[in-house]
Amino acid sequence: MKRRATLYSYSIVHSGTDAFKDKTPYLLAIVEENRRKSIARIEGYSDGIDVRVGMEVEFLAEAEDGAARYRFVQ
Amino acid sequence: MRSVSVIGVGETRMGRFPDRSLRDLILEGGDKAIRDAGIGKKEIQALFMSNYNAQFFCGQGHVAPLACEVLGLGNIPALRVEGACASGGLAFRQAWIAVASGLYDVVLVGGVEKMTHQSTETVTEGLAGASDVELEAGLGATFPSLFAMIANRYFHEYGNVRDEMALCAVQNHENALLNPDAQLQKRITVEQVKQGFPVADPLTVFDCSLISDGSAFVVLAATEVAQAISGRRLVEVIGSGHAGDTLTLASKRSLTTFDATVHAAGQAYAMARLKPADIDFAEVHDCFTITQIINIEDLGFFAKGKGGLGVSQGRTAAKGSMPINLSGGLKAKGHPIGATGLSQIHEVVTQLRGEAGDRQTGNADIGLTHNIGGTAATCVVNIFRGR
Repeated sequence: MKRRATLYSYSIVHSGTDAFKDKTPYLLAIVEENRRKSIARIEGYSDGIDVRVGMEVEFLAEAEDGAARYRFVQ
Repeated sequence: MRSVSVIGVGETRMGRFPDRSLRDLILEGGDKAIRDAGIGKKEIQALFMSNYNAQFFCGQGHVAPLACEVLGLGNIPALRVEGACASGGLAFRQAWIAVASGLYDVVLVGGVEKMTHQSTETVTEGLAGASDVELEAGLGATFPSLFAMIANRYFHEYGNVRDEMALCAVQNHENALLNPDAQLQKRITVEQVKQGFPVADPLTVFDCSLISDGSAFVVLAATEVAQAISGRRLVEVIGSGHAGDTLTLASKRSLTTFDATVHAAGQAYAMARLKPADIDFAEVHDCFTITQIINIEDLGFFAKGKGGLGVSQGRTAAKGSMPINLSGGLKAKGHPIGATGLSQIHEVVTQLRGEAGDRQTGNADIGLTHNIGGTAATCVVNIFRGR
């Protein structure tokens, strides 16, 4: 069983800083795992995907900068 | 602590002024406030200067001596106060403490920001510095996206208030039509707000406050000396509160109640011996439309989850029972970060003096200002009474 978390809240970002300009739209979220909330990027978002508070996401990797990345449960 | 009153206010128009320098903005706002107070510059004993990020936006640090030189205030102590978007409210509170303590009799508080000469991406980056740069901005979080997550969580906990959020923007734009200092004087509709570019869903560009240049200044004096030196109708500071919270959004106890607001307001109400229902009107920090709804709940004007209903019933409109942001707010009057908290005080003082012209509210004895920084990591609340 892979590590999973739930979406506590989220936003689909269409306008970013210069560093993220070419990544839009991207899904930014606060995920809750073992009652601990943290901010995370959810990989694999594209327009039209239904996103809801409370849905499950799967832990993907700890990026080089230490930020956790998740993806939608397939 | 002794009683302190506002004896002078002055501000520039808020807007996009490519030809105006920081010096120029400081000079206009500062001179207006000093003239309004009817005092000589020699009577000012200290300057508290609010500025968020001129170092980044303009390459200019050390803003307090800059303002002191521009305004010809000589060798008085001058210092900068920074608390992100709450810098203005924070500078005002430090100045109030300095006068209330008896250290000074008369002080000047100012705020300035110049932002519009930079691209939206650069401004977004400069503002993102008020969040956690490593944990939030480094992941792609912008301020609109942080408040968009607050909005989606609010929808989940209390129901969808998308239309009521849009109505906040509509009402603030309506109010700005009557404010000559407002950046935007343009009527908008709920549909326009909802159809705008989705900066960070569910927020469109019309849910976001403006990028602005501008300055605002306030002269404070001990009430016991104010009557002798100023012919103005005094506006007394009867309550003040300041509270904080975690810098990061995810670490907050709640995304939909701002604890910093609850604590700061609690202090201010206790000091003024008032309850929320005693407040006649307020300027609240509408950096985003969802923020305005959360603020009017956290300040106790509406029950939790009922702020949107108050807006849709027209109670927060100019002619409602609790007028909010008669100035047009950050949404339509403008949001020159360092000046914002002081511009809110400018509006409340103008209303309490009965000098707001076409936008004068009928019942203006007690007014409140609410100023937050970051995702409500800093909050300052002040309560004023006309005398």
